[in-house]
Amino acid sequence: MESIFERLWKLGPSAFVLKAIVAAIVADALLLAFILLRRTYRKRYFARRDARVFELRQQWDALVSGKIPYESWRKKPFDRRIVETMALDAFEASGAGESARLLKFLRQSGLIEKRIFEARRQTGWRRMRSLVALGRTRAPEGIPALAEALRDRDLEVRLAALRGLGRTACPEAGEEILAWVGEKGLCVPALPLQSALIQCCVERPQLLLPYVQHAEGPLREVLGRVLGEVATPSLGLDLLQFVGDDLDELRAAAARAMSHTKSGLAFDLLNELARDPIWFVRLRAIVSLGKLSEPRAIPSLLRGLMDSNRLVRLRAAEALVELDIRMAPIFEQVVETGDRYGLHAYLTALENANLRAKLEQELQSSTEIREEVRDRLQKVLRTGTLPAGETAASEGSPDKAALLP
Amino acid sequence: MIRFLDIANHTLFWYYLASNFAYLLMLMIALKTSAAHQRSLESHRLSWINDSPMAPPIAIIAPAHNEEGSIRVAVRNLLELDYPELEVIVVNDGSEDRTLEEMREEFRLRLVRAVYIPEVKSAPVRGLYRSDVDTRLLVVDKEPGGSKADAVNAGLNAANSPYVCVVDADSVLERDALLRIMVPILEDPKRVVAVGGIIRVLNGSEIQGGTLRRVRLPRKSIEVIQVIEYLRAFLIGREAWAQGNMLTIISGAFGLFRTDLVRAVGGYRASSIGEDFDLVARMHRHLLEKRASYQIRFVPDPMCWTEAPSDLKSLGRQRQRWQKGLLDVLWPNRDMLFRPRYGRIGSFALPYLWIFELFAPVFELGGIATIILAASLGVLSREFFLQFLIFGYAFATVISIGSVLQEEITYKRYNDWQDVARLVSYCFLEHFPYRQMHMVWRLQGLWQYFRGDFAWKPLKRKGIQSVQAP
Repeated sequence: MESIFERLWKLGPSAFVLKAIVAAIVADALLLAFILLRRTYRKRYFARRDARVFELRQQWDALVSGKIPYESWRKKPFDRRIVETMALDAFEASGAGESARLLKFLRQSGLIEKRIFEARRQTGWRRMRSLVALGRTRAPEGIPALAEALRDRDLEVRLAALRGLGRTACPEAGEEILAWVGEKGLCVPALPLQSALIQCCVERPQLLLPYVQHAEGPLREVLGRVLGEVATPSLGLDLLQFVGDDLDELRAAAARAMSHTKSGLAFDLLNELARDPIWFVRLRAIVSLGKLSEPRAIPSLLRGLMDSNRLVRLRAAEALVELDIRMAPIFEQVVETGDRYGLHAYLTALENANLRAKLEQELQSSTEIREEVRDRLQKVLRTGTLPAGETAASEGSPDKAALLP
Repeated sequence: MIRFLDIANHTLFWYYLASNFAYLLMLMIALKTSAAHQRSLESHRLSWINDSPMAPPIAIIAPAHNEEGSIRVAVRNLLELDYPELEVIVVNDGSEDRTLEEMREEFRLRLVRAVYIPEVKSAPVRGLYRSDVDTRLLVVDKEPGGSKADAVNAGLNAANSPYVCVVDADSVLERDALLRIMVPILEDPKRVVAVGGIIRVLNGSEIQGGTLRRVRLPRKSIEVIQVIEYLRAFLIGREAWAQGNMLTIISGAFGLFRTDLVRAVGGYRASSIGEDFDLVARMHRHLLEKRASYQIRFVPDPMCWTEAPSDLKSLGRQRQRWQKGLLDVLWPNRDMLFRPRYGRIGSFALPYLWIFELFAPVFELGGIATIILAASLGVLSREFFLQFLIFGYAFATVISIGSVLQEEITYKRYNDWQDVARLVSYCFLEHFPYRQMHMVWRLQGLWQYFRGDFAWKPLKRKGIQSVQAP
């Protein structure tokens, strides 16, 4: 008797089509089988794992303290993975005391040594998993193995090492990463590098400075962004060197970092950056000037209020509104600029902060402002428009073609 | 006649073969890139973006027209999203119901004189309202503009952030969706100008207080088939196209754009039928003509859940509109075809859309007609017909099951065994008669376009408050 395949084969002239049919049906069957088997396997695996996690959780203190001999679970890969995961999860969520206890446990049980060995000797996904796990332990002894993996030919391994070093969140790991990028350049995607450096350099942002000075191209941009992210008040004066840098990101980073620096020099440089041709540098400078919360910043903020970029205008307005001084004189100066876009930005910030009533009250009770000026200001506040003939020439800017609802 | 029928049948066969092979190729690309994406996610912590003072601000624009039933929940959901610098702009597009009043009561809105610069065309604005409960919320109350595009444009004029995220007010975003969709931008802020997120079918899932509590497969067959369609379109189609920087559609229900670029191309075209597709096409054209180095990316993990039509009439209307929208964009951009200056978009993406999307109903329904005609004239090769049926069916199911597999090994949102079993079984059922019905709707869409029937026909919706698991 002929088989179904033989009969099918005789059906048509095109062997190709029949083969394609068979291939498609086989593919359907394989896909279905894969989904089915994967689901079944995972269901069983997770059920078994859950049960074991529960058992180990009951004995957790005995496990960590070593009352239960480490050998009893270390030799069983299934148990070892569970214990390690539980320890690392607890480690990441614990305070100083508990994390010291867990780190001691990870060391004494040999889990860190094992991961270091695997990070150096294993290949493929096993190595990658070891690198990330090693980073999670935050153990300084793991850093050399992670740094070695940074120099691997495989991008995935380099990324895993970078992730691991980032997870350690310690400056020593940051130094290794920086030394590596200094030597090899930007040979991984920017975001993982940025993320790892931010985690590692947050305690010691000074580490970045020599590398930012000497790096070039896209790497310099990445380092500039990291610097902008981690810069602290202590770094303020070191960043002054970047005020005139060619790289926009660095000028922006410098502007941002100087928001905490009370020195007069920083203040002058922020004023200079508030005139930068690049809008986001001006934006950072205006935000920083606002954070200084000093009346000296008012002229720059008023200039920011008339900026061609609407974000800069809004941030300048917010900074003016948030200044802890009397609002009426500021409002008078805003009106005097004659810039209706600036006025609108100011009124928006005022209303967002729900301070309009306060300004009205101040204007009402002010004795320093002449009566006709006060009436004019009250009218401007009420109507939201400048009196006729008071609009500034600067309004011709195309970005400011505003229609006020 | 016989010769014609023979040629037509063979053309249909090769067309079908090419179409399925294209999808098979996309499936393979998508499987590979999804795995890489999953690994890359391990590199960054979303909490870092959430804590970062340098995360670029995003303005969410949510147009709302007669959404009184769901607007409170929808806006609350948007305000609860994880993102450090967020402004939520709800555009009340001339609602005739209590949409504005609902928001007024819930969020204590007060009339403000916020900055509104009409850089892109939109119907007149009646007023701007700021919330006292959450100052990040701005409501733009405007005259009815007759289209979603007009409402989004009003939101664009009020937006003060360098990035805008356009969402549908009746969609549900997962809490970390914005953090995830920002990852490509943070990776390459200079080149990435837009990012599309994935849209999933909300029907059947459990919603509580505007938040998705439990993902379940819908009960109705028509809805389950749409789940498979969405998985195929997003997890395979868009994922693969985005790899070659050839993504031509970012769904209107959830997409992120660089604000200045959207304004530079004139915002959404109010008269367009498929405004989301139209915008992305114009962005490609604008940037390619400027010879800019840019990327439009797709991220498969930020999830936006939206209600799919649950009755045939509404689904038919939706698909007719999509087909009209496709033609409405492809026709004005026909000059981009095969012109070197438009690169891969002109050489691959647009020709693919012309041949395998726009002409699909013509080819498929025309093919069915010629097969019937050939059979009635007694000139149909039984072998050919049988082979064609078996092959077409088996190949198409490979693609459908492939998309379910992609979901299984990556995002795995359907955890229930029953759901997966039903999903897989519908992979075998969707090709008859749903596929043919779908083609008829699409052909009707083309016909309506040529007749000049561009009217917006409302779809029947339950609203996100009532979308509950049984």
